[in-house]
Amino acid sequence: MDRQGSMGFRFLVAGFLILLTVLPTTAWAQVQRVLSGVVRASGTSEALPGATVAVPELGLGATADEQGAYSLRLPEGRHQVVVSFIGYDTQTLTVNLTRNQRQSFQLVSAGNQLQEVVVEGRGSLEQKLQTTQMSVERLTAKEAKLLPALFGEVDILKTLQLKPGVQNGGEGTSGLFVRGGSADQNLVLLDDALVYNPSHLFGLFSVFNPDAVQSVDLYKGGFPAQYGGRLSSVVDVKLRPGNPDKFTTSGGIGLISSRLTVEGPIKKGKGAFLVSGRRTYFDVFTRQINKLNEGQDDYNPIPDYYFYDLNAKANYKLGEKDELFLSGYLGHDVFGFNSQNGFNFDFSWGNAVGALRWNHTFNKRLFLNTTASLTRYEYRISNRLDQFAFNLSSDIRDLTLRSDLDYLPNDQHALKFGVTATAHRFGTGRLQAGSQDGRLSLGSDITYSGAEAALYASDTYKPTEKWQLEYGLRLSGFRSGADQYGGLEPRAAVRYSLTPTVSLKSSYALMYQYVHLVTNSGASLPTDIWYPSRGSVKPQRSQQVAAGISWLLGDGRYLITNEAYYKWAQRQIDFKDGAQLFVNPDLDSEFLFGKGWAYGNEIYLEKKQGRTTGWVGYTLSWTKRQFPAQRGTTGINNGNPFYPTYDRRHNLTVVVLHSLSERVQLTGSFVYTSGQATTLPLGRFVFQDVYGGDVAAVPIYPQRNTYRLAPYHRLDIGVVWKLRPNRWVPESDLTFSVYNAYNRRNPYFVYFDQVKDKQTDEVLSYRARQVSLFPVIPSVTYNFKF
Amino acid sequence: MQSSLITRISNAVFGSLPGLLALWLLSSCGLQQDIDVVLPDYPPQLVVEAYLESGQIPRIAVSESAPYLSSPNPQVPTDVKAYLTLPNGQRQELRFDPGIDNVTGKVYTHIGQRRISPTPGQTFRLEVMDTQGRRVTGQATMPALVPIDTVEWKFNDKQGEFRKAYVLTRFRDPAPTTDYYRLQIHRDSISRDPEVEYTVEDRLNNGAEYSLGTSYEFAPNDTIFVTLYHLDQPYFRFLQSVQDARNANGNPFGQPSAIKSTVEGGVGVFTVLSYQRRMVIVK
Repeated sequence: MDRQGSMGFRFLVAGFLILLTVLPTTAWAQVQRVLSGVVRASGTSEALPGATVAVPELGLGATADEQGAYSLRLPEGRHQVVVSFIGYDTQTLTVNLTRNQRQSFQLVSAGNQLQEVVVEGRGSLEQKLQTTQMSVERLTAKEAKLLPALFGEVDILKTLQLKPGVQNGGEGTSGLFVRGGSADQNLVLLDDALVYNPSHLFGLFSVFNPDAVQSVDLYKGGFPAQYGGRLSSVVDVKLRPGNPDKFTTSGGIGLISSRLTVEGPIKKGKGAFLVSGRRTYFDVFTRQINKLNEGQDDYNPIPDYYFYDLNAKANYKLGEKDELFLSGYLGHDVFGFNSQNGFNFDFSWGNAVGALRWNHTFNKRLFLNTTASLTRYEYRISNRLDQFAFNLSSDIRDLTLRSDLDYLPNDQHALKFGVTATAHRFGTGRLQAGSQDGRLSLGSDITYSGAEAALYASDTYKPTEKWQLEYGLRLSGFRSGADQYGGLEPRAAVRYSLTPTVSLKSSYALMYQYVHLVTNSGASLPTDIWYPSRGSVKPQRSQQVAAGISWLLGDGRYLITNEAYYKWAQRQIDFKDGAQLFVNPDLDSEFLFGKGWAYGNEIYLEKKQGRTTGWVGYTLSWTKRQFPAQRGTTGINNGNPFYPTYDRRHNLTVVVLHSLSERVQLTGSFVYTSGQATTLPLGRFVFQDVYGGDVAAVPIYPQRNTYRLAPYHRLDIGVVWKLRPNRWVPESDLTFSVYNAYNRRNPYFVYFDQVKDKQTDEVLSYRARQVSLFPVIPSVTYNFKF
Repeated sequence: MQSSLITRISNAVFGSLPGLLALWLLSSCGLQQDIDVVLPDYPPQLVVEAYLESGQIPRIAVSESAPYLSSPNPQVPTDVKAYLTLPNGQRQELRFDPGIDNVTGKVYTHIGQRRISPTPGQTFRLEVMDTQGRRVTGQATMPALVPIDTVEWKFNDKQGEFRKAYVLTRFRDPAPTTDYYRLQIHRDSISRDPEVEYTVEDRLNNGAEYSLGTSYEFAPNDTIFVTLYHLDQPYFRFLQSVQDARNANGNPFGQPSAIKSTVEGGVGVFTVLSYQRRMVIVK
């Protein structure tokens, strides 16, 4: 529904909300009691969202929410309750339920990284089987830390790339391409605050410091109604709360960066804080190299580069029913270049994110979370060339207020309502340039504003043991200048238990995206800017249907899931060839609009119990886009459908973690993907130009992405070796990684080159060259905690 | 200066910076290898380069594009006929007579019979055809002349071989129109590579004074030729697309760009040059 919402539409929404609250409940054949409480980590008392509380013999279970709270309705009587969470020992407790009862659990950490995954209980797989939610992947930082990583830099987003349905954007990059969606179609949240550019170093690393992160949930489809604003996925990152009992310091020293985390109580029993920082140190070495070569005429100094990030989280209990959470992130990449001939170039970019959340518990069945968040991404370029100087910057700022209400009227319904509003400010280009003598001075400032709002309601309804439904509706709208847009976003999911170990699932979701990434580089660059829906640029829209089957095998030790999906999207954006995206007040005219569609099948086998754990995922998928002739162009690829660069036909991942002994864990991951679609010039012509200059061979690109690079495959292996405790450092380990263990020369890109006669410089022939980025790279990281 | 800065920023940000990263990674890893690539069939097209100039006999170059990995020898078809239609409707054949222009050092394949004297606003048409039935047509209108106001230079405070001057070229952009410019500064001879080259448009400061500056790069007593071309939009877009296409080969962050020819039925450019040139000795 573009433009103004109608009155009828409002009534529809109101009616829907009423419907949710009056849905009939079935009569109870047996007296039901509520078991509720909080799951925390023993020692640190940190809440464990995602922990599973289950009664296996009844096939009932619940997942702890963000505060670690769970609520489970059970028949009166004795039950064996199994509580489990990744990285913690499974706890079993017999409960005699004669009335509503509070029972909290404190799970004991496996104590070292070696066993954090192997002790994963069967409960989580059972829970995954039972839940209506499909197409979701959860990963904890503890799990990610076990796996081998490039340069030893653990990256939770890159680990997500090992899950089926998720592609990477190229060798080493942290961008996620989920079920045919592009990287800008991911809603990346850090403690409910949006992060616009979640990458460092041109996408080689994500901004999430694993020491500060607790877990990440990736939704690939079947999106719950509380999420909106992006088409393809939700990446919900949660920061770890601090230790409420004692002060601890932990950190790590790696090949390219070091980390340090300090945490402790604010006031015993009331709250805790955590501050975690990370910084790279390439620049320390490059500055020394530059210093050694200073004064040499033919020496070009190596540019300075480093990045840092700082995460902080604090929580404080105001009373029995109220708690405040404050989360923050600040990170910057800094790039500096000073040439000997007077050219200075300083370039920095980064995110600043802050969120304040108030959690209020009305009673055991009604919870309210209200969050105010601020997010900002900006880049700045300061340049000086002799007497000329300029400063260029661009930023996007959001101020968001959201409120989410959870209501559990009975064991059959779990209702969620919410409202969210965001004020956007898009600074798409700010330029100040001039000369020292003041004779030249000019500037440009292109800024837009926008307002985005949404209202949603959803219900998880369990009419019988076999059926479970989750349905919701989201009403979203956007305004920029005089342009207004809005739409209804229905969401629905259903689960049917065929047998106690087999579930069938299906889902549908419609999503709108009102802000758009302006880039034609095909890669995530810090200079990419965001642009609101306005003028000819309408909101992007996508719909996805998915169907799947989950089968619990081997006495609950294995879960095999098969999901098929089809996604179609309208008003997809791209740009004209040679588009001026840089400080362009008429950016609107550079857009091209088209459609996209993607479909595929994902098979996923998980094992989370025993000495050997891991997963195998295989995805068969197709992604296409089409941009017909428009705006004085022939479209893209002459209007014919084409594969985007991230289209991959086959994708196989194997991840294995094996506990060799109490102190040694072996890990390995293997990836195989079909070759990346890329554009190569088919022809060339000789261009002499008007006056001066050499004759050039100019490439002709008649088609888009018709060539496939060679398949990509890589094996990474790792060892985590826990060191014996000593007086000063009670916990420490050495993590060894070998990235690309068999030194595969994976293609990064291909280009054409001239072969010249060394004597005469005459061009003898042309050849194709393949460039690879990373050979075998061993690394070691020392981690400590005291 | 604005547009020169913008050009430089654009190059730095969209080209150099990611390229620098790629170069850094490549130089540290050195992971390049030759591979065999099988490309789809590419049917060659006629390629035309035709720049008409006041006071000159028309000379154009007609060649043929080729599959990228084929022999590097330029393909010059010998069965091409070319016709130029003057603003008064008179149609002249440009005869096939390959040679080298002594001034520019560039090769031409077809040459006219007499000098032409186009004036701004006049339109010419070109038709090129061969015996295979390929036909390339185009038309071009001469842009108005935008004169150079001043060329000035200033030396730094250094001595000896480090004493260098920057050069500022000033001109005023006409307000009513969207305009495109190309500035070239050659040292010693215009048949060499230019020392400085900018291609700019006036979208950010329409109607204002332009100052296109260089860095400190000219030595005392250097003879420089400053040429300011006023381009029409098709020629500007053609030049831009040629640059984009060249940049995309070898740059993993580049977006391959189609060539935006000013002619139809083939590849290439047909335009009437409108420029002013000044020769100065930097003292």
